[in-house]
Amino acid sequence: MNWEEISVPFDLPEVRDEISYQRVVMNSGATWDYFPGHFDPAYAESQGHPTIFVNTMHLAGFADRIATDWAEPDSRVVRRKMRLAGSIYAGDTMVGRGRVVAKRCDTTVDPPRYLLDVQIDVTNQRGELCCPVELTLQLPG
Amino acid sequence: MTTPISYRLAFGTYEDALRMVGVTSEPRTAGTAVSASRIQMFAATVRDGNRSYWDAEFAARTWGGLLAPPALLMGWLTPPPWEPTGRPPVSAIALRVPLPGTTFINATNEAEFPLPIVEGDLLTVVEEVVSVSPEKHTKLGVGHFVETLDTFTRHDGAVVATNRNTLLRFTPGTPS
Repeated sequence: MNWEEISVPFDLPEVRDEISYQRVVMNSGATWDYFPGHFDPAYAESQGHPTIFVNTMHLAGFADRIATDWAEPDSRVVRRKMRLAGSIYAGDTMVGRGRVVAKRCDTTVDPPRYLLDVQIDVTNQRGELCCPVELTLQLPG
Repeated sequence: MTTPISYRLAFGTYEDALRMVGVTSEPRTAGTAVSASRIQMFAATVRDGNRSYWDAEFAARTWGGLLAPPALLMGWLTPPPWEPTGRPPVSAIALRVPLPGTTFINATNEAEFPLPIVEGDLLTVVEEVVSVSPEKHTKLGVGHFVETLDTFTRHDGAVVATNRNTLLRFTPGTPS
C-alpha cells in the first residue's frame, strides 16, 4: 500500500466473522484470559448475559485484521482506541466496517512516520454497535 | 455448576479505592518471552492471515522477527491460570482496587505501540491506578469505573507499548 496514493475518505471492504462457541473458547486459550464470562455459559447468564462472549483482545484483533488486511502486512497498528459498547456472544456474527478518515505525516520523529487514521465500527448481525474503534496505521515511508 | 471467579478481587468501599489512585505497581516481568506459538494461536483465534504472524522469513525481514499481534498486548503479562506455587495468579492492578462490585467488564481501551514487539522479546509491565469514578448506575448494574495505565518495556528498557484501560467494577442487577 502506497501512502502517497491513498485518497481520503476511503471505505474498507466489510468483513464478517461468525463467532462459534469454539472461537470464544479459543479466545481464552490464546489470551490466557480465563474470566469465566468467556468460557462458562452458566456464569455469563448469572451476570445478565445470554451466554459467553469474546474479550477485548479478540475485538481488538478483529479490528487490527480489518486494517492490516487492507493496508498489507508491512503496515503496523501504532494506536488503537476502542469503546466496549456491547458484547459479541457465541453464535453472533461480528461485522466490521472501516473507513480511512485521515492521512498524516508525523515529522516530529526522524524518520517521519506515514500514518493513516481509520475508524472501524464493529456491530453484531442485528446491526447493534458493539465496539467503535479508532485506529492509526503506520505505513512504510 | 458455575465457575467461581479465579481472579482475586479486592473488596472495600469507594473511599478505600480512592486511596489507591496514583499507586504504581512494582515492575512485573512475563514468565515467558513472546513466542511464535502464542502469536499464531491468537492469529488463528481472530483468523488473521497476516504474514507478519505466520511467515518467519517475511517477518524477520520486515520487523526483525515474527510480529506480536498488537491486540494480544495484555495477554503477554497475563499469568497462566495455574502455577506450581498453587497460589491464584496475580491479578491486574485494576482488580486489586478495593470496591464492592462482585464482577467486572471492560469499558474502554486505548493502546499505543511506539515499537514493534517481536518473537523473543521479554516484556515487563508497570501498572498505575489513574482514577476511580464515583458510583454509577449502568444498564448492567451499580458500580465504579476504574482507569489504569500499563507501561510495557522490553528487556533493553525501551518502552514498546502503553495501555490505558477502563473497566466497570459492578454488582449485576437492574438499575434502580
